[in-house]
Amino acid sequence: MRVVVAEDSVLLREGIARLLDDHGFDVVGQAGDADDLVRKVGAHKPDVAVVDIRMPPTNTDDGLRAALRIRDEHPQTGVLVLSAYVEEAYALELVAESASGLGYLLKDRVADVDGFVDAVRRVADGGSALDPEVVSRLVGRNRRDDPLAELTPREREVLELMAEGRTNAAIAERLVVTERAVEKHVTSIFGKLGLSPAPEDHRRVLAVLTFLRS
Amino acid sequence: MIGLRRALWAIGIAAVLVTIVETDLIATADFHHPERGLWVALNAVIGLSFVGVGLFAWYRRPDTRVGTLMVATGFAWLVGNFGLTDPPLLFTLGSLLNNLFVACAIHLLLAFPSGRLSSRGDRNLVIVAYVVTTLGFLPPLLAADPTYIGCTDCPQNLLLVESNPSFATTAVDILAVLGVIILAAALGRLIGRWRAATPPMRRVITPVFVAGGTLMAILIVALMLSLLRVEGSVAENIFYAALIPFGLVPFLFLAGLARARMIVGGAVTELVARIGGPLGGGELRDALARALNDPSLELAYWLPESECHVDPEGRKMEPPAPGSGRATSYVTLDGERVAVLVHDPLLLDEPELIEAVGAAAALALEKERLEAELRAKIGELRESRARLLSIELAERGRLERDLHDGAQQRLVSLALDLRLARGAVREQPEQAERLLDGAAKELEHALGELRELARGIHPAVLSDRGLDPALEALARRAPLPVEISARLGERVAKPVELAAYFVVSEALTNIAKYAHASRAVVRVGRENGRVIVEVADDGVGGADPSRGTGLRGLADRVSALGGRLDVDSGTGSGTTVIARIPCE
Repeated sequence: MRVVVAEDSVLLREGIARLLDDHGFDVVGQAGDADDLVRKVGAHKPDVAVVDIRMPPTNTDDGLRAALRIRDEHPQTGVLVLSAYVEEAYALELVAESASGLGYLLKDRVADVDGFVDAVRRVADGGSALDPEVVSRLVGRNRRDDPLAELTPREREVLELMAEGRTNAAIAERLVVTERAVEKHVTSIFGKLGLSPAPEDHRRVLAVLTFLRS
Repeated sequence: MIGLRRALWAIGIAAVLVTIVETDLIATADFHHPERGLWVALNAVIGLSFVGVGLFAWYRRPDTRVGTLMVATGFAWLVGNFGLTDPPLLFTLGSLLNNLFVACAIHLLLAFPSGRLSSRGDRNLVIVAYVVTTLGFLPPLLAADPTYIGCTDCPQNLLLVESNPSFATTAVDILAVLGVIILAAALGRLIGRWRAATPPMRRVITPVFVAGGTLMAILIVALMLSLLRVEGSVAENIFYAALIPFGLVPFLFLAGLARARMIVGGAVTELVARIGGPLGGGELRDALARALNDPSLELAYWLPESECHVDPEGRKMEPPAPGSGRATSYVTLDGERVAVLVHDPLLLDEPELIEAVGAAAALALEKERLEAELRAKIGELRESRARLLSIELAERGRLERDLHDGAQQRLVSLALDLRLARGAVREQPEQAERLLDGAAKELEHALGELRELARGIHPAVLSDRGLDPALEALARRAPLPVEISARLGERVAKPVELAAYFVVSEALTNIAKYAHASRAVVRVGRENGRVIVEVADDGVGGADPSRGTGLRGLADRVSALGGRLDVDSGTGSGTTVIARIPCE
């Protein structure tokens, strides 16, 4: 799998690149600012770009803008955005109409090497990876007449894992239940929330996020 | 006013008619009073001057009752003199009410100049005087037969039941004693009131009080002489001496009115001359105090923007409430309130003076008001700057503590764990693994804390995306449902965005802590070049911006940008915090 890494801190960028390289990725390009990133993605057409939100030239949300541009211009390239802080608005902005090939993770997650590599791989494959903090913020948000209140605690767990972009198999493994049991939970959740069942994982993420953001 | 005018005309005409009839009756009475001619003149002059001046005062100042009381005194005088006429009914009535005018005079003097009796003691005294001079004369009249004292020409006393000269004499003596007591008490009250009066009040009351006091003193002497049965020309004529100050009362009152008007004119002329040139600090107040002859005068200016009064130095002040012993009069210019004069309540008896002085000084007052407004603003700015500084210091202190107690401690323990793991890695790999796991956890916590700290200092989304997304993030993080019902829809200057953000953030924190609210609504908009931020909840209310540093600090943040923060928080009706921040 071919990756471009964009991060203005050289230390972190090299670290991420080495880590991905160690895990069998082919790091085809490294970028220190947003413009460089867009150029390198255009040149290399990688499977996935790992992008820091805060980057030169303006040091605000240049990375996010670049990510949106990449999703628009190179739909085949997955984008995994890294951020020093949780900002659900940014995640939702990225997801917009499709959660396919999209990730939004806290920078800290890089330290959890296996989880991080798995997320990069999922995004590169056209799946999704949303940070658990983003999801729990969305789920935990105060609503009036909250339909989430009807979910059982286990269903809530399944919902959050679903929103993070995990497959049924991954959810089953995490919760130590059978995939069959997870499927039953998912059906029940969609029923309770009034959502129509979506077969593909990234569509499922979009449906759940659309529900959560409303 | 027309109705009052007609009524006053009717009263005047009635007084004239009564006087004409009475003049004729006294002049033609069979009963030969030795000074019949003098009494015809005294009756008409004193009676009509009281009624006439009283009607004038009544018309000019219907709010005070001095005019009414003067008219009543005039009529009492006229009625009493029916005792000098022949028709038995009028003679008896006149004899009965012969001294009523004295009670009316006491009432008038004690109530001067407002027309209202100020104390319960005064009211009781006046009631006793009325009772004694009306019902009090009933007993002697029941027993007094004029023929017995050798008055063969005298008309018939209709009230006579049985002639009993000694009873009648005793009754009259008792009345004389009562009269002395009442008059002495009234005289004492007059002196007391004069001594307690402020200089401007004394100017008004002195002539009338001197005349009234003289009247009472002479009447006391006259009654004493009759009680002591002193005979002679002094005893016989002293009553006439009493009539001189009595008759002068209306004229003195009239002179006082004329003098007051002259004083108003003089005071205004002098005031205009004094405030024509440039005025130093306090000179305007001094000039006004002089013009109003009230050294205790204070000035307060109205600041419409902050809706409060300030003194000339720009310090906030509250004009005294009614009944606090000080009176207030407003000065307006083009219908706008400019200043408040806080003065001696007795000046209210001279509304023309206050009005004329206020009108003459309005422009100068407006100029000084603007200066006071400026001073108030500067003072406010200085205070809020100092508070902002101390808030910033406190904030830095808090950050230092948070870093020190939080992330720094965690990193220290992390360093320790790593060292221990390094030592254990060969001999006790399991132990090393546990230590490393622990270190990773510590690190995660430290990162989380740093993230929250950074957000508290300055949320990135605010500078990246502006107020609306930042407020949405705040709303999502709030521990209660928050609806954003109106959005700004555009970027404004960063300091304005930051201030608006902190208003919402602090307000939501307060709501979560104190309001017991079920929900909150945030509205942001732009209006007349200002960003309006409103946060309302449905909680218990009762928030007080003067208590606690949260709202105070917000107000300072907002006012540092030239805006203002209002908190509307009635008990039980929720709290609404509104910030208006100029953004141009």
